Amino acid sequence: MVGSPVLLIAIPLLAAFLIPLLGMVWKESVRIIPGLVLAYLTFLSASLYIEVINTDTIVEIIAGWRPPWGINLVFSPLTGFLTTIMTFMGFIVWLYSYRFKRNVEFEAAKKYFIFLMLLVAGSVGIVITGDIFNQFVFIEIVGISAYALTAFYTGRDSAEAAFKYLIMGSLSASALLIAIIIIYSQLGTLNMAQIAANIDNMNPYYRIIAMIFFIIGIGVEAEIFPLNGWAPDAYTEAPGPVGGAFSGIVAKAGIYAMVRMMFTLFDIEGPMKILIVIGLITLIVAETSALRQEKLKRMLAYSSIGQMGLVLVAFGMGTKAGVFAALFLMLNHAITKPMLFLSGSFLTFNTTEKYIKQITGMAKKMPVVSIIFVLGALAITGFPPFSGFWSKMAFLSAAADENLLFIMATILIISIFEVVYYFRVINRLFFFEYDDKISIEPHKPGFNGMIALFVLAFIVLMIGFYPSSVTGFIDLAADDLMNTHQYIDKVLQLGQTIIQ
Amino acid sequence: MQECTAVRSCNLGIKTLYFSMDTTELIRIGVYGTSILLILIGLYAVLTKRSLIKIIIGLSIIDGGIHLLLIGIGYIKNGTAPIFSPGSENAVARMVDPVPQALVLTAIVIGFGVTAVALSLVIRLYRHHNTLKIDEIKNLKW
Repeated sequence: MVGSPVLLIAIPLLAAFLIPLLGMVWKESVRIIPGLVLAYLTFLSASLYIEVINTDTIVEIIAGWRPPWGINLVFSPLTGFLTTIMTFMGFIVWLYSYRFKRNVEFEAAKKYFIFLMLLVAGSVGIVITGDIFNQFVFIEIVGISAYALTAFYTGRDSAEAAFKYLIMGSLSASALLIAIIIIYSQLGTLNMAQIAANIDNMNPYYRIIAMIFFIIGIGVEAEIFPLNGWAPDAYTEAPGPVGGAFSGIVAKAGIYAMVRMMFTLFDIEGPMKILIVIGLITLIVAETSALRQEKLKRMLAYSSIGQMGLVLVAFGMGTKAGVFAALFLMLNHAITKPMLFLSGSFLTFNTTEKYIKQITGMAKKMPVVSIIFVLGALAITGFPPFSGFWSKMAFLSAAADENLLFIMATILIISIFEVVYYFRVINRLFFFEYDDKISIEPHKPGFNGMIALFVLAFIVLMIGFYPSSVTGFIDLAADDLMNTHQYIDKVLQLGQTIIQ
Repeated sequence: MQECTAVRSCNLGIKTLYFSMDTTELIRIGVYGTSILLILIGLYAVLTKRSLIKIIIGLSIIDGGIHLLLIGIGYIKNGTAPIFSPGSENAVARMVDPVPQALVLTAIVIGFGVTAVALSLVIRLYRHHNTLKIDEIKNLKW
């Protein structure tokens, strides 16, 4: 035992509190502490995850109040899988942004690292908590730090994007709170396992109303269709690494909350049509919007929303194969999209508009970054032998098992859209001459940023050539999500527990 | 609600139903109605008002309505505070539910934080655009 799951939340919160204090003593500590914290979190999460796979789910009780009375944290093969991805991506984002505003603006950099810590703490909290009100609190922590990170740059339109995000975020948080009130007034509990065990006793009308409010409440973080208007603006206006953090960490937490609610809390059997419908609408709207974007980051943001729609469709199939495909897609998206955001951010370094035409012919000036961008684009569109191919393959075979021909056709057509808009960028990058008038001045990428990109590229290639290196973990996670009774038993009767 | 169903099965009019209801029920309906009204007023303000400050006021009104709803579900007639003290051991049945009160405190703090962030964003927007009208702040697509 190396530590307990609560440290995954407590340490980044403590670090966020300590950063400004230590920053007064030694300015460099503002950059170093987040890195140490995120490296430790990744190590802790990975070692707990291995322990959970080999033995049993860890249910941690906070403050000695046993479930269903107190708050409990559940570290299962599913939550451990997601937590490990999220903390690792947090570390990669830190590595990329280590020299962020170094020797330029101390105050700004300090705030950036504080909010990055809060973002990771909140996202991990959303995933490992076993209490719906606690989840609401973590969603608000993620929300507030995300608003602040979006509004980071003064002088751009970032405050506008952040305000838009804030209005949507706080309205949806209100909806989430109403859903929690409905459930509490009907069942008298806030514990997820207890709710799942008693959900059949609930009046079906209240159940449907609560579910609708839940979907509205979580939909903003999960970037589902009518609630994702904030995403393109926030991704565009936020600093480069923050786009990577949003797509790699926050969106994953949102999708998890949505899926946990659908599978465990409301325990809907069989294919969940509502998820399929929401996912397909999100996918089609986002990918068609991505086609006509002129700004690189806006295009990537729409692509990210589209991928989230794809994940929801896969979850909506409700079968083991579907859940497997969805988790595989989440893993690939969590690695590939930050890779695209980070390399794209090097290509359009320090420009406010980030137009695609500004990177014309950049491949000759920045060949390595361009190749990594292309690798990400090929992986996300699903070219063999890169990682995205296997997840899309898993998705299509899961859909074929269920005879969902309409979905298969839609996905294949949408894949053509993806190829079109990514290759438009690649075409500009590689096959156009560099032109001083259109293109921006190439920027020499930092050493730490290149390491971050190489690590991500290595993972993409590794999953691409040896998909069996991750499929075992995903399989266990999918089993864990599908087995609601096991979740209830583990939490309420307590398998391996730590009493703090 | 036991009395209500009994009255309805006797086929009495709505007036009798009204008078036969416990005052607890009346208070509860009043609280729920008020909170839903507040939520709707706030939603109206957020959706129709063109001033950034008024939108934030709308968000606060929604929060207020939700907090009232949250307190309302824990209501007990003649209830006491959920605190054990010598001499009140038999008062457990009359104690109000403490969980909604704990939740509402947390929700108030979160609402305060969000409002503070929103107002600071409004200051930034005002400095950048020199206006609070949402129609004039549209560099991004709304």
